[in-house]
Amino acid sequence: MMRLSLLLFSLAIFCPSLTLAQIEIRAPGQQTLPLAVVPFLPLEPGMPTEVAREVQEVLTGDLDLAGLFSFVAPAAFLSDARRLGLTSTEVDFAQWRMLGAEAVIKGGFSVKGNDLVLEARLYDVVSRRLLTGRRYLGKVEDARRMAHSFADQVMKSLTGEDGPFNTRIAFISNRTGHKELYLMDVDGHQPIRLTDHRSIVLNPDFSPVSKDVIFTSYKGGNTDLYRKEIYSGREAKISSRAGLNIAGRYRPDGREIALTLSHEGNSELYLIGTDGQMHKRLTDNWGIDVDPSWSTRSDEIAFVSDRQGNPQVFIQDILKGTVRRLTATGRYNATPAWSPKGDRIAFSRQEGGQFDLYTIRPDGSDERRLTFGPGSKEHPRWSPDGRFLVYSSDLGGKKAIYVMRADGTGSRRISPPGSDCSHPAWSGKW
Amino acid sequence: MKKLSIVHLTLFLALAVLLVSGCAKKPAPTPTAASETPVVVSERPVGQDVRGIDERPVTEGQISEQDTAGLGMGQASADLQPIFFEFDQYTLSPQARQTLADNAAFLRSRSTVNVLIEGHCDERGSDEYNLALGERRARATRDYLASLGVAPERLSIISYGEERPLEQGSNEAAYAKNRRAEFRIR
Repeated sequence: MMRLSLLLFSLAIFCPSLTLAQIEIRAPGQQTLPLAVVPFLPLEPGMPTEVAREVQEVLTGDLDLAGLFSFVAPAAFLSDARRLGLTSTEVDFAQWRMLGAEAVIKGGFSVKGNDLVLEARLYDVVSRRLLTGRRYLGKVEDARRMAHSFADQVMKSLTGEDGPFNTRIAFISNRTGHKELYLMDVDGHQPIRLTDHRSIVLNPDFSPVSKDVIFTSYKGGNTDLYRKEIYSGREAKISSRAGLNIAGRYRPDGREIALTLSHEGNSELYLIGTDGQMHKRLTDNWGIDVDPSWSTRSDEIAFVSDRQGNPQVFIQDILKGTVRRLTATGRYNATPAWSPKGDRIAFSRQEGGQFDLYTIRPDGSDERRLTFGPGSKEHPRWSPDGRFLVYSSDLGGKKAIYVMRADGTGSRRISPPGSDCSHPAWSGKW
Repeated sequence: MKKLSIVHLTLFLALAVLLVSGCAKKPAPTPTAASETPVVVSERPVGQDVRGIDERPVTEGQISEQDTAGLGMGQASADLQPIFFEFDQYTLSPQARQTLADNAAFLRSRSTVNVLIEGHCDERGSDEYNLALGERRARATRDYLASLGVAPERLSIISYGEERPLEQGSNEAAYAKNRRAEFRIR
């Protein structure tokens, strides 16, 4: 702990977010902070307890996924857990210290009609001080969202970098009998269907700067690229060139889209505007070129090509046009995803009929395998803070959406059961 | 006590971040927070941005079984036999060429019939790569039919990748049936 403290101290001076994130990614679970998450209490008597249960569930789930905390067992909580006391003078820190907690989350809520007020506090048990506090105003059904927001706030307060919990995950599900586009919270709650194409919808990608999503659909009898505004529901077909219009990926500034088209006879990578206008052809090769993924600086694109015989990941410099091969091993490597920090590229490798997930540095060094065991794991995508990955796995028969830490630990299923769920995409900050 | 300094330091860090980012949010005027440190910041109402999703709620719709047959582009033709491919290949086997010769003869005899050629893959491999591979299979099929005298404008193509398997199942027998090009009369 002393070592971490020193690191935190020096980093606070020089460069807070970058190296701290590395501590999380490299060593989650090794240096954990003992945290007590106290069930939130009604600010006035007679309030429904459902809100408290949901807030507890969300906070514990999010912060457990973070891998930075060990949780003090609620069964051991003493009398302070049953007392509202939301100021640092009211909290009985000695009790929490006795239980070994170094930090404690307390809060209260009040419900009036359908309106919800949520007060949330993170305290440092040792210094007996408030680290961060938030008051949320909304509707009762927003309780989970408020809790996700506070989990982000806890992460920011303790690491200097926002958490990714108040974001959304888009995915494809066939629960209506057709593959349609859905949206859900990062813990799989509140799934909403966004399309009603009644054909095949595939491969969504979020705009990094607005609440838009692009995807491919067979609705018009061809694999066309669509863009949809999530809140207005407005939808437009933006590329319906003959043949493939697939695997669209927004540039990090949201102003351009890389995708695979085949209207000139072979599947190649192109850049188009968000209105679908042709900007530039990127590749010119006899092979199949698919699955582009932008570098953080938008100067390079990782993609899959079989130009050397079987599917491998390559990286192309957009301005110079030069191409280098990234993956050196394996006979089938696919679906590259460049991390938002730029330091690693996740991809899936097929071996023995099954995909597993790996990450590698953009220079091709330091390849690491993240997933093991049964189930084909595909379509990795990073959380906007680069701490986590979302992917699909067919462990247990049907495909489902999972999240895990960027080092492969802490994996958990998040999508609702009962249908095949695949092609996840993680939104930016919502 | 070494161990206990961490939270204290992270508080310093949080403050440092606030300073660095020049955070200009207003302190919350909440009564309970009034006595606390200035770290308390008011949050926008969370409720505001979560509404307005102009879509129907998710329902457990009944699963329609007929829909896997296609997108209503016409029936699979009994007169036009499908052809099959090797894994990750789009070259035409001698057997596929024989089948296509029969199909071409049929098409030459029915000059008004237009055909949609669907390229398909087995479930192995990446979805997007398989969309491109399925298109190559459809394209190779079209080019060969055209070389046998069928007017190319009568032949259109689409790739379904691994989206519409003929046979469910994760075994070589199913895979072999799913790596195919099919013909639909339009």
